[in-house]
Amino acid sequence: MSTAMSLHQRRKRKNGVMMALCVIAAGIGLAWLALILGALVYKGLSGLSLAVFTEMTPPPGEAGGLLNAIYGSIVMTIIGIVVGTPIGVLAGTYMAEYGRFSKLTTVVRFINDILLSAPSIIVGLFVYELMVRPMGHFSAIAGAVALSILVIPVVVRTTEDMLNLVPNALREAGTAIGAPRWVVIRSVAYRAALSGIVTGILLAIARISGETAPLLFTALNNQFWSSNLNAPMASLPVTIFQFALSPYEEWQQLAWTGALIITLTVLGLSIFARSLTGRREDR
Amino acid sequence: MKPMLSTDLNVADTTVEKAKIEVKDLNFYYGQSKALKGINLSLPERSVTAFIGPSGCGKSTLLRVLNRIYELYPKQTAEGQVLLDGKNILDRSQDLNLLRTKIGMVFQKPTPFPMSIYENIAFGVRLYEKISKAEMDNRVEQALKRAALWTEVKDKLNASGLSLSGGQQQRLCIARTVAVKPEVILLDEPASALDPLSTAKIEELIDELQADYTIVIVTHNMQQAARVSRQTAFMYLGELIEFDRTEKIFTSPREKRTQDYITGRFG
Repeated sequence: MSTAMSLHQRRKRKNGVMMALCVIAAGIGLAWLALILGALVYKGLSGLSLAVFTEMTPPPGEAGGLLNAIYGSIVMTIIGIVVGTPIGVLAGTYMAEYGRFSKLTTVVRFINDILLSAPSIIVGLFVYELMVRPMGHFSAIAGAVALSILVIPVVVRTTEDMLNLVPNALREAGTAIGAPRWVVIRSVAYRAALSGIVTGILLAIARISGETAPLLFTALNNQFWSSNLNAPMASLPVTIFQFALSPYEEWQQLAWTGALIITLTVLGLSIFARSLTGRREDR
Repeated sequence: MKPMLSTDLNVADTTVEKAKIEVKDLNFYYGQSKALKGINLSLPERSVTAFIGPSGCGKSTLLRVLNRIYELYPKQTAEGQVLLDGKNILDRSQDLNLLRTKIGMVFQKPTPFPMSIYENIAFGVRLYEKISKAEMDNRVEQALKRAALWTEVKDKLNASGLSLSGGQQQRLCIARTVAVKPEVILLDEPASALDPLSTAKIEELIDELQADYTIVIVTHNMQQAARVSRQTAFMYLGELIEFDRTEKIFTSPREKRTQDYITGRFG
């Protein structure tokens, strides 16, 4: 009886200690996040004005905005997503549907996982060698290609995972009614996995909209407005990088504001993605 | 209701009625392991045949050969013959999608497609027929009526099929199967995930459907087999042990193993 009690007491104490450690660890993690967000809002918010969205990046010592950088980010992100998503979705579809039992899928999944965790600067260098050097100059299109290479593994992974979550019984049901395989995939499997796949695409957007390294080697930067895809183009992350390192106060302020804009965008996308998956689980 | 026949004849040997499906020397393999061993069986047209037996005896496997759904998975192979109206469906030249429009299947767990109730039914019809909206409306209504679901869903045809209860979902799946006008309906433990009331509805439905369709049902529930089927096949360890009229199987089986199983001595 007494040993049973003491065992119980000991277990309770152990539980208490572990619980406290977990709370502290979570607290430390969250504290950093709160500090970063706090600093961003504190420093960035004061610079947020209409001019940020309507004026070009200024020369040192003058007032200006981030319009060309925001525009560049949006353009390159959109092209990156438009190029990367179909490739990623189709590859994920092959892996989860047609090639579910094939060796190739195992190999592709392994390589894809490597690509997923590869430092993005390597992707930048790769596209530099592939496009920038042969073309002889930096360009927005090279930046977009670098971003699309970052999109592919994210989308491949989520597409495959989400399609794997679709119960086989549903595929069998589609097949049993006489639907050919591609119709089963399009009308049944995709539909069942839709919110998950869209979430993956949103997460990919969130990921690439903050990428700096691959753009440094490809799109470089542009002090002026440019919508020419064959020329260097400004982007928010690269502009932040350049302005934050500069000795000029106006530039530093714009860097903070730019950082806030990216963070809020990514945060918004993540919340939206979460709400999509959340709805999925409700069903 | 069918008259009770007290015959000692084995229907498998002396089928007077037209056989819809004939299984001849069928072997089935999951990779190397042999799951069905030399099955011979003849399923008469427009009647209900039940497959019973303990878990792993091969009854679901046999069912899954009849519409070749097993071919979704590599390493599953069948050899022998399965004749549908005298034509071997295991033949390589058999068009699988066409075969499956002739032989519908309902699964253990309800599997509504992630779309509206209306679309769940229209989906299969649209695959092989081009019909007007009005005709489709009518088709959907007929199918839902056939599955005794119409009165419950007629005001919410655009609601998701997933919003229905389990029993309703299963009847939706039956409606969907009936809508493509198959000749044979395969039911793989269609009521095992349902409550008694829904089960009773499904059984009633099966009883009505046999006027027009050849029905094969796999079930764990022996009372269910006794209630709904006209002939019963008892399977054990991949072999067909006994196949006869249901009354015969449940009252005076020839084989001791059959008797042991139906009296609950094993399985």
